[in-house]
Amino acid sequence: MELTVTKNATCTFCGCVCDDIELHSDGVRITHTKAACVLGTAWFKNHTVEKLFPDALIDGKPATVDEAVHFAAELLHAADMPLLYGLSNITCEATREAASLAELIGGVIDSHTSL
Amino acid sequence: MGGKVSCTLGEVKNRADLIIYWGGNPAECHPRHFTKYTIMQKGKYVPNGRKDRTMVLVDIRETPSAKAADIFLQVRPTKDFEVITLLRAMIKDQPVDEAAVAETGLSLEQLRDLVARMKACKFGVFFFGMGLSMTRGKHMNSAALLTLAAEMNAFTKFVAMPMRGHGNVTGGDVILRYTTGYPFGISLSRGYPRFNPGEFSTIDLLIRGDCDAALILGADPGATMPQPAIEHLKRIPTIVLDPKVTHTSRLARVHITTAATGISAGGTVYRMDEIPLPLRPPLKGPYPTDEEVIRRIREAVAKKADWMPGMNGVVAAA
Ligand code: SF4
Repeated sequence: MELTVTKNATCTFCGCVCDDIELHSDGVRITHTKAACVLGTAWFKNHTVEKLFPDALIDGKPATVDEAVHFAAELLHAADMPLLYGLSNITCEATREAASLAELIGGVIDSHTSL
Repeated sequence: MGGKVSCTLGEVKNRADLIIYWGGNPAECHPRHFTKYTIMQKGKYVPNGRKDRTMVLVDIRETPSAKAADIFLQVRPTKDFEVITLLRAMIKDQPVDEAAVAETGLSLEQLRDLVARMKACKFGVFFFGMGLSMTRGKHMNSAALLTLAAEMNAFTKFVAMPMRGHGNVTGGDVILRYTTGYPFGISLSRGYPRFNPGEFSTIDLLIRGDCDAALILGADPGATMPQPAIEHLKRIPTIVLDPKVTHTSRLARVHITTAATGISAGGTVYRMDEIPLPLRPPLKGPYPTDEEVIRRIREAVAKKADWMPGMNGVVAAA
């Protein structure tokens, strides 16, 4: 178990996106935060990198990421009007990939903003 | 948001001497907004910090944020648009109807005082929350407030900024804006982007049953959307990318676990003032990032036959 300190980490829990947070972690979870508010602290401490979930599920059964990726591609390719929705908890880089995928499959792309 | 008169939070910190929160509760929803960006900070042109600034809170009920405010204006529910319209008339010295004022729950005195402060300040800012943009009038309320901020610039510097929610909602808007020209609710089904909220917004698409597959990226509509929308997600093939197995994952055909943004996945997110900031994920996890999985899906789709001649990224080149 090795203690690491991350300085100037960025909290994404609310729109303030504070980027002055210090995080102490033991490699599995975040054990201590500095400068974060109550919401941010709870958010950081809530996460672990333990493997709590299967890599992927197809129809409720465990599958590999590769199988799931190919099955997803098949489903999206077969659809006439696929919808891509979400975007508020993913990075800008991931959103760019999503926009490009939406163009490729002739789909609709939408975010929480439309609610 | 086109034509929005806005600024960065750094400018607010260094310049704003009148800060008006409208329909938001930063004390509970954006806990460090006061201390990091607005009222508590000492700034270049507001060297005495809190003493140099006036904070006004406009809301329908007295939230914990009211304690931080110098002035609290309690508006009757659903009357925000009317208050904004009265203010727009009053800054131009136009006469207003006393009966119309009485209906808003505020007095003419309170409105006159607010107008005087708005005109006398050096740098004013409206921060508006969901209490304004998600209640009766919706985007018309935000548009009215943005117009008021723009019109105030005939007298002094004035800006407006939405208090955006969690995660990277702002970034989603910005990226879609610069890739497609529109912020959300975009259909690419004709090979070029079309924007039409109400037609291409998720909730309407799902309730009408218009879409025949769904890829859900870091959201859980299965827990938050109205029942008819959830029923449609169950009917069609749904694919979920999420760090957790969510309600939506359970009704989906495919779930892929991804690394949590900012915890074990790096990248860029936008702050509410549209400033991009890099993430510094402190942990390394066992799952791939959303970015990687979406790219792999895109590459797998790209190998298949074009859905429309000339598509697959090379539009009408052949
Ligand atoms: S530390 Fe608090 S105020 Fe800052 S982004 Fe996180 S939740 Fe928001």
